[in-house]
Amino acid sequence: MKKYFSVFKISFQQEFVYRLNFIMWRLRNVMQIFLVFFLWDTVFSDPKRVVFGYDREKILTYVFAILIVKAFVLSARAVDVAGDIARGDLTNYLLKPVSYFKYWFTRDISSKSLNLLFAAVEFSLLYLILKPPFFFQTNPLSLIAFVVSIAVAIFIFFTLLFIVSAVPFWAPGMGWGVHFLVTVIIVEFLSGSLFPINILPGNIYRFLLLTPFPYLIFFPIQVYLGNIEGFEFFRGLLTAVFWSVLLWFAMRAIWKKGLMAYQAWGR
Amino acid sequence: MNKNEKVSQKAIIVEGLIKNFEVTEKEKGIRGTISSLFSPKKKTVRALKGVSFTIERGELVGFIGPNGAGKTTTLKILSGLIYPSSGFTQVEGFNPWDRKPEFLKKISLVMGQKNQLWWDLPAIETFDLNRVIYEIPERAYKERLNELVSLLEVGKLLNIPVRKLSLGQRMRLELVAALLHKPSVIFFDEPTIGLDLIAQQKMRDFILEYNKKNQATILLTSHNMEDLADLAKRVIVIDRGKLLFDGELGKLIENHAKEKIIKVYLAKDGDIKKLEKIGKIRKVDFPQVVLSVPRTAAAVAAAELLQNFPVADLTIEEEPIEEIIRKVFSGK
Repeated sequence: MKKYFSVFKISFQQEFVYRLNFIMWRLRNVMQIFLVFFLWDTVFSDPKRVVFGYDREKILTYVFAILIVKAFVLSARAVDVAGDIARGDLTNYLLKPVSYFKYWFTRDISSKSLNLLFAAVEFSLLYLILKPPFFFQTNPLSLIAFVVSIAVAIFIFFTLLFIVSAVPFWAPGMGWGVHFLVTVIIVEFLSGSLFPINILPGNIYRFLLLTPFPYLIFFPIQVYLGNIEGFEFFRGLLTAVFWSVLLWFAMRAIWKKGLMAYQAWGR
Repeated sequence: MNKNEKVSQKAIIVEGLIKNFEVTEKEKGIRGTISSLFSPKKKTVRALKGVSFTIERGELVGFIGPNGAGKTTTLKILSGLIYPSSGFTQVEGFNPWDRKPEFLKKISLVMGQKNQLWWDLPAIETFDLNRVIYEIPERAYKERLNELVSLLEVGKLLNIPVRKLSLGQRMRLELVAALLHKPSVIFFDEPTIGLDLIAQQKMRDFILEYNKKNQATILLTSHNMEDLADLAKRVIVIDRGKLLFDGELGKLIENHAKEKIIKVYLAKDGDIKKLEKIGKIRKVDFPQVVLSVPRTAAAVAAAELLQNFPVADLTIEEEPIEEIIRKVFSGK
């Protein structure tokens, strides 16, 4: 455990090395919030308008929540893993008595903590400036359920990312392409990080709920908003946990095969 | 001594090691890229075709061969990075592929072109992380760090971000990082590559001293023949995945150096043509003439030179080691 605490510390330091880069990244986040806010604010300029069951307050809460949940779930250091394999840098880790998964999971958590810290500050400032009609959940049960669903979401995304990142074991040149397709396009689209997926036709929506993707963004937000609770929550959580376990074992099996194909290129 | 004890004394055992790689070939240009996308041409490269050798505890062995001979592949298998197609390997009693923590704590692989230091942070941060990862006790770590730092003269570099250092400085720090956990088996892959002459010498001195002081088993690959002449008593020569020679470096030279080199400094301008009768003229750089003569005839040739030519000075030397190795590989 101590090992991974040290990894956590050194990753944290690493994040601060390029200060300007860091500031630009945070600025980009803030600009993004502004953009999304004004977009939906214009669409719902008539306070009585209801689209797909969402009124102005609900949609603004949803988009704000997207930004926060996304910053926490979809931001991951482990995007570097595919490159590590293709360049042969994986070698450095394989030579040491550390678990590669735990190593990257720690780096992810380190990166997410930093992200969350700054996101919280930015969010507070923006909230004071824009004064959006944000819905604050006060029911402790919903809040606990929200935290649990976020934890599961982080785990699902991590295993998904590791599975996708294993492609360069066999096709070193394909790492980035596959990663883009899966984590950027499929995940963004199906997880509900562009729009709430329950505005899709009922059949498609119900089908999507059987896949792991909505449990990354859509599900935690709905839990926060109190739209999903009780039995429905447990059913969702069970599906998500089921996917976590399945993806975990798939990841292990794929990596075992991948390491046998690994050729430690770069030399 | 029973058989088991004998086995456990060996630091490295390799038997019938075979490694085949699958590679996809791609023809040049966009057309090649597209056609390889739809019908990739697979080719099997046989990197190792049944290599066997053993290395005793504390031995320092040079591993020689041209590019693509299979040296690095062997080192990668021995350190558990890649999976052998078949054959038996054992390092310090472990099967490398299992990558057990106890095994990983005993070995180190130093590659001239790979780095483990965190690029943006000072090297001391990486060292500290390694301390925790390898579970080195605080006191032992400090002693070890001081020892390595003074041996490699890197005291002033510890707190500078790695990206600001020169290659030579970085290589020395890489060494510190690789040796902090006091490995008993070290694989060096081209440790002097890219270094200037002084840095190369320093690296060699260090490796030799480390081997003596810690009784560490060292297997070293290099293109640099001076590395080997300086360091390794025993060499293993490998080419196209096959073992060509395993034994003392001196023996290798004896077997393959069938000629000796005579360097003559002439006092007066003379008919150089006449020298051809004594030996093959390799080079004329008046007043120096370099001749090669058969090994057994060297003494006679020297006497003849002294008698019949205006010789100011004369030396008899072995062929340069590069020459000899080249002969080994060309099968002469």
